[in-house]
Amino acid sequence: MGHTVGMAGGVAALCVLPFLAGNAYLEHLLALWMLYALLALSLNIVIGYLGELTFGHAAFVGVGAYTSALLSTQLGLPPLLGLPLAAVAAALFGLVIGYAALRVVGPQFTILTLGFGSILYTITNNWVDLTRGPMGISDIPPMAIGPMTFTSARETYFLILALVLAVGFLCHALVNSRTGRAFLAVRENAPLAASLGINVFHTKLLGFVVATAIAGLGGAIYAHYIKVITPDIMGVQNVAALIIVVIIGGRGTIVGPILGALVYIGLLEALRVAGPLRMVIFAALLTGTVVFLPGGLVSLWQRWRTTHKADNNLPAGNGVPSAEGGAE
Amino acid sequence: MDVTVFAQQIANGLVNGMAYVLIATGLTLVFGVLRIVNFAHGEFYMLGAYITYFVGTLLGIDYLAAAAIAAVVVAALGIAANKLIFWPLRRDHEFTILLSSLGLALLISNGGELLFGADPKYVDSPFADEVLDIGAITLTQQRVLVFAAAVVALIGVYLFLRYSRFGKMMRATAQNPDGAALTGINIKLVHGYTFALACGLAALAGALVGPTVMIFPTIGNWAVLKGFIVVIMGGLGSVTGALFAGLLLGVIESLGGGYISLGFMEAIGYAMIIVVLLWRPNGLFSTARGLR
Repeated sequence: MGHTVGMAGGVAALCVLPFLAGNAYLEHLLALWMLYALLALSLNIVIGYLGELTFGHAAFVGVGAYTSALLSTQLGLPPLLGLPLAAVAAALFGLVIGYAALRVVGPQFTILTLGFGSILYTITNNWVDLTRGPMGISDIPPMAIGPMTFTSARETYFLILALVLAVGFLCHALVNSRTGRAFLAVRENAPLAASLGINVFHTKLLGFVVATAIAGLGGAIYAHYIKVITPDIMGVQNVAALIIVVIIGGRGTIVGPILGALVYIGLLEALRVAGPLRMVIFAALLTGTVVFLPGGLVSLWQRWRTTHKADNNLPAGNGVPSAEGGAE
Repeated sequence: MDVTVFAQQIANGLVNGMAYVLIATGLTLVFGVLRIVNFAHGEFYMLGAYITYFVGTLLGIDYLAAAAIAAVVVAALGIAANKLIFWPLRRDHEFTILLSSLGLALLISNGGELLFGADPKYVDSPFADEVLDIGAITLTQQRVLVFAAAVVALIGVYLFLRYSRFGKMMRATAQNPDGAALTGINIKLVHGYTFALACGLAALAGALVGPTVMIFPTIGNWAVLKGFIVVIMGGLGSVTGALFAGLLLGVIESLGGGYISLGFMEAIGYAMIIVVLLWRPNGLFSTARGLR
């Protein structure tokens, strides 16, 4: 009950937010926040639900961005058509790469995705005839649905917000479905899941392909909003940024990546004066979160709630087991 | 096909490959003994190149001495990194360790950009401009030095692992840490020195390759990627595998760059691991646990 009310309140707040922003620059930041939230939600399917760490996610964002950008600038296809095609292209890459990389697990999978990501980056950077190489693609037309065009930050914000909510709902429904429970079973204990008749490889591949499709969609929206893309969108910096967002917010949750994106975009702007020191601070935040707060910012709330409940339900002083008596 | 050109490409590839082997040996040692996939490994390569630059070019110390100093300093930094980050986390999930090594990598590379500046630097070496002719093949002395020094270092590592008391302790820890600890081996010491050895090798690679290229604070990304490709291809934890895979990658990249396309050279190397992994998912030289 309280959960539903909280959700409705949150969604309402997100809808009102751009009207409170007051200026175009803040609205631009809000749109970026939603974009990173969308990309982080897709990465979270792999990191949070499948329990595998991928370093190649930015490459799929790039595939989506380039697909839609090339279709609209070279062939004159309307961006609305480019969007689903971008998702399909990214998903196809995800299918092929996932099929090869998911044969191994753990650190080896992570390294392989890094390798695949680098292949896509190198090809994009060097296939000058198609992608114009490091010069990138410019003059990408804005997103349009029928007579509606999404040129301003505020319009784009609402477009991406709708997608974030849809993907968030999809993740929510997924986790509560039979397939989603299979994801979590594979994450927690793959051999045990296999013994229960779950096809571990197919389950992981499904999750990976869905995640890459959403990443491609996000990339396409980015391309039509910013209007210029370069191969840097696939670079290591972007990979690191997405991982930082998911981990700081809280992996395996829906609110976590959205919250993480807010922290990332917010700090990125707040620390603009700090220059190169910014990434050092983010790196320290990442390491600190991993070590001291493995559940991310979201787990702070859960932690607070459990201690709060314990205070209410139990007589003071007796409820919490003493720290010294543990199993250390 | 011109034989001279072909031989030249092979020679270039072997030199590049030997540098990959140096980087990958450290990675595979750290994985074998500490069970850590260290994404920060390339940053120690970068630090090796930069320390050689600062000690050699700015303080005016001889290049070879500067390279040795760089290796020792970075090895000490490796001990510190292990003590502060990886040793306390050794019982944690591999996910945590992977992410904290990524954090460390970002910390060092961006910290490096802050300290050293993003503009490229050139490491001075008296061997960089001198040319050596071996038959029809022409190599700079520096590139011959890369190959020779790497061979010496790798033979040293091999003999150390095979015959020294400490090397045996390392192998025992790689096979079974608990068993090793039960026989009185100081695991903490083994972890620390293995990490130092790995970082020292990475720094040596950086110091050797440094004069043949421009150095940036972000070259660590490149180094760790090459190292990982080699390690994955050879089999995680296999030193022999790293040797063969490193040389193979170097030669294939060189031939691909020479005969197909220079721009796609790197992609050809990456494509190689896919082929290998489709055939042998755990690498060419993978067997049971332990250092080989």
